[in-house]
Amino acid sequence: MSTPASAPSTGRPGTAARARGLTKAYGSGETTVLALDTVDVDIARERFTAVMGPSGSGKSTLMHCLAGLDSVSAGQVWLGGTEITGLRERELTRLRRDRVGFMFQSFNLIPTLNALENMTLPMDIAGQRPDRDWLEHVIDTLGLRDRLKHRPAQLSGGQQQRVACARALASKPELIFADEPTGNLDSRAGLEVLGFLREAVDQLGQTVVMVTHDPSAAATSDLVLFLGDGRIVDDMARPTADGVLERMKRFDALGAAPPGAPARSGDDAAAAEQG
Amino acid sequence: MLKATLRSFLAHKGRLALSALAVILSVAFVAGSLIFSDTVNRTFDRLFASTSADVMVGPKDDLDEAVPSGQTPTVPASLRERVAEVEGVADAHLDVSVDNVTVVDGDNDPVGSTTGAPTVATNWYVTDRSPVELTSGHAPRGAGQAILDADTADKKDVKIGDTLTVLARPGSFEVEIVGIAAFTTTNPGAALVFLETGSAQRELLGSAGKATSISVTADDGVDDTALKRRIAAALGSGQQLETADEQADSAASELGGFLDVITYVMLGFAGVAVLVGVFLIVNTFSMLIAQRTRELGLLRALGADRGQVRRSVLVEALLLGLAGSTLGLAAGVGLAVGLIELMGVFGMNLKSAEMVVGWATPVAAYVVGVGVTFVAAYLPSRRAARVSPMAALFDAEIAGVGRPLKVRAAVGCVVAVGGAAALVGCAAAEKTLTAASLLGLGIVLSLVATVIAGPLLVRPVIRVLGGAFPAVFGPVGRMSRRNALRNPRRTGATAAALMVGLALVGGLSVASASMTKSFDKQIDATLGADFVVQNSNFLPFSPEVTDKVEDIAGTGLVVRQRFAPVELSLPDGDRVESTAAGYDPRLDDVVDVTYAAGSSRAALAPGHIGMDREFAAEHRVRVGDELPVVFPGKRKAALTVGALTDQDMPEGFGVTGGLFLGLGTVEKYVPGGQDAAVYVNAAAGTDPDTLRERLEKALDPYPQVQVRDQADYKELIRRQIAVMLYLVYALLGLAIVIAVLGVVNTLALSVVERTREIGLLRAIGLGRRQLRRMIRLESVVIAVSGAVLGLALGLVWGVAVHQVLALQGMKELAFPWPTILAVVIGSVVVGLAAALLPALRASRMNVLAAIAHE
Repeated sequence: MSTPASAPSTGRPGTAARARGLTKAYGSGETTVLALDTVDVDIARERFTAVMGPSGSGKSTLMHCLAGLDSVSAGQVWLGGTEITGLRERELTRLRRDRVGFMFQSFNLIPTLNALENMTLPMDIAGQRPDRDWLEHVIDTLGLRDRLKHRPAQLSGGQQQRVACARALASKPELIFADEPTGNLDSRAGLEVLGFLREAVDQLGQTVVMVTHDPSAAATSDLVLFLGDGRIVDDMARPTADGVLERMKRFDALGAAPPGAPARSGDDAAAAEQG
Repeated sequence: MLKATLRSFLAHKGRLALSALAVILSVAFVAGSLIFSDTVNRTFDRLFASTSADVMVGPKDDLDEAVPSGQTPTVPASLRERVAEVEGVADAHLDVSVDNVTVVDGDNDPVGSTTGAPTVATNWYVTDRSPVELTSGHAPRGAGQAILDADTADKKDVKIGDTLTVLARPGSFEVEIVGIAAFTTTNPGAALVFLETGSAQRELLGSAGKATSISVTADDGVDDTALKRRIAAALGSGQQLETADEQADSAASELGGFLDVITYVMLGFAGVAVLVGVFLIVNTFSMLIAQRTRELGLLRALGADRGQVRRSVLVEALLLGLAGSTLGLAAGVGLAVGLIELMGVFGMNLKSAEMVVGWATPVAAYVVGVGVTFVAAYLPSRRAARVSPMAALFDAEIAGVGRPLKVRAAVGCVVAVGGAAALVGCAAAEKTLTAASLLGLGIVLSLVATVIAGPLLVRPVIRVLGGAFPAVFGPVGRMSRRNALRNPRRTGATAAALMVGLALVGGLSVASASMTKSFDKQIDATLGADFVVQNSNFLPFSPEVTDKVEDIAGTGLVVRQRFAPVELSLPDGDRVESTAAGYDPRLDDVVDVTYAAGSSRAALAPGHIGMDREFAAEHRVRVGDELPVVFPGKRKAALTVGALTDQDMPEGFGVTGGLFLGLGTVEKYVPGGQDAAVYVNAAAGTDPDTLRERLEKALDPYPQVQVRDQADYKELIRRQIAVMLYLVYALLGLAIVIAVLGVVNTLALSVVERTREIGLLRAIGLGRRQLRRMIRLESVVIAVSGAVLGLALGLVWGVAVHQVLALQGMKELAFPWPTILAVVIGSVVVGLAAALLPALRASRMNVLAAIAHE
């Protein structure tokens, strides 16, 4: 099992995560729904990758499978050099703890722990000492210096999400997964968090995968992967908000066409229009 | 609104299950004890009604024997002829019935009960009122023949043709079993040996001219009361006459004492179950409401008023109470059946088919069940009504911390001060009665104060207890400690359930340890004899035993102890009924008595009496006073006060006033008594161990007595005190079971409440084992804090109880540290056990589903 020390150094590109023939089915028999349909994907190291798609396109499922949170129905997933499909529960837990960072849309922090304790929690659980210099650097980068002793209830939504970001960064994971990290924030706080993720990639050499349905959020990434009906249907390097929005509109046009396609909610369309 | 309530009740029925269990337990104990006592009463009413003679002629009512003297009151046998001649008497039988015999088989093993149930030797005659009928063999036809009851014969494997020895007051004699008789009614638990009437009179009463009573059968159509009046007119006033109804009443009240104890114990269990159950229900409803804050807010926003919200919660409580009471009633029937079967083990063969469920039982069951639930749900329902409509709009974290605890702190302090004042008053009181009532008040107030202030008290306790957690268990320890402190109200109520039970145990164990130590010290200080020969239930035994002891080679001094009921007329005008102990003259050689005035010689001299200094002072008695004394059978005497003692425990075993006198005086006024204890010293030149061997060998045919030295005697007293403790431990067991349910309940609901948090922890790498440990630690810290608070309270109570005991002369204070340590360790186990299921459930949660959980 690799430790943060064995994480790749800056300037050595490669794949941080990889999936081949990744399939995830829910239900069985006639009612089977394919959330992911033989997906092949490579997540480039030290890049900021966004995953977009309408609701039900499988973008969250893809992230969960890549992160070892969810089991796969078929196919293989590698994190760095480790194949995680077929790992047992305990090994997956350790892998998440040591090599992956997480940010969620909401409820990102443990309410009984203060900001600093939340940041170092994964390392505390692992019984490892945080890299002091790195931690100080992260804290300063995210501007949390004067908030360290605050409990989550005493922090604003944006500050909470920054703490969650700091937690994801603090253990220098190989890969950070962010599931709609700006979903619950106003646009200013959202931009701030996106800026930090961007900085994490550019200046700290981290790898980030972000699921979002906000085109302007996706626009801060290096590469956008578009998912539809459980397949990667397109990608867009150096995206712009307008470009992403245009691409998303094509989903709306196609959306009704394929039989058996998962139902879409109006939310996505509304979100897309905002962008 | 009702529909919403019903839906909500059904939706939460899993979470209400543990509360329902608490209701079921309380109701089951209430219903079970009522059914049991109704059944027993009905059975015995029937038994006495069917077996009592129309009129019974017996000896005059006498002084109560708090300590048995061993004397059997009798009537002259010649009365029978006079009674038989009374008009309206169809038949009159002599009864010879003695309930303090011991019957042994060929191996010198007792045939009757050794736990205190009587072995009765009686004369055999057949009427339609006989409780038994001959099933095999024949009636006893003279001396040396006997019938044994079938239950005893079965149990001890006695057959026709076997020889048994009956140890009675006049002496022991052998009988051959010639018949077996089975009970036609309920066997009340005694062993019965039937003898031919003439030999029963001679062997049991020592004279053919005596009987214990005369049973009269009335002619057809003659009223019992009228016949009683006619017999009374014919006999004069020397006897006590009772009709069948009166006999049934007095028999029932005699038996009642024992059955009341069982009923009270059961009600005690019910009380504990109710008390602890209330905490559990309050907690459950509080948590359900905290979880449903948004839902309730939505109801309010949609136009439901506060009353409707409150009522909806109370209706849920009502449903829970009804369901719990119904199941509890059924469980109570089962419990009663179990108790009835259990009585069978002790020889009382009740029939579960004849179970009586009076109308009061279901009424009590529903009143208790619904009442408890309703009361417990009332406060949470008010809290629910206070939920603002705005709550629906916020995605607030359901912390449920609620209002600050200032009100609780204030009320708790006031009550605590009251309780402390009562306990201090108790410690300072001079009179036992005052001290005891202050003690009761102090215990209730301090308990209430601790429960009210519980949430405030658990905080520092958990901080201290969990202080080492972060260092020992890392972040898991830190989180579990903080989780336990997260909602102090909830933690307080959960811990309180355990606290109540353990406070009781703490107090009682200090009291019993102090009693034991005091008795030990008393025995060390006073018992000077090499050996004491006595019965382990302190029942008197026949003087034949004493004769045997005296005949053994190497026996030096033998001092007998014999009790006699007395009624004393005192100088201050009081009449006191008590029991006086009679001793042989050389008391000083076997017991060290401290005298304030006079000496053993003066007290034990013929026509003299000794008593406790404080008792004498209270009633203005002085040495040399002549006191009128009444002995059983209305024998009057005037005894001179010869000495006043200054003992630590003058009133041990309920002997008010510490009265004692010469055994000769006792024999003079209470002839036919039996010895209660025999103190034995080895003769000069005889080794005590050798004497003990000889004593034990010689007393082998008398299994009712044992030889004890000082250490054995202490052990005997210790066991008497321990019996009381077993009951307490059983109560504690029940309290702990329910408290564990409470901890399980709290943890299970907390786990549900913290689903998303748990999901997040798992996502960022908390292992299942670590998660389980986190929940276990939280559980342990709650349980241990409850135990610590309970024991602390219990020790304070114990010290206060000791102050009351000290007024009774039990001055030693002892803390049973091993018990206390065991309780603390036990509470850790309780915590671990309670966390099993909630922890398993938490660790089985699907990480993704948990994070997405609303």
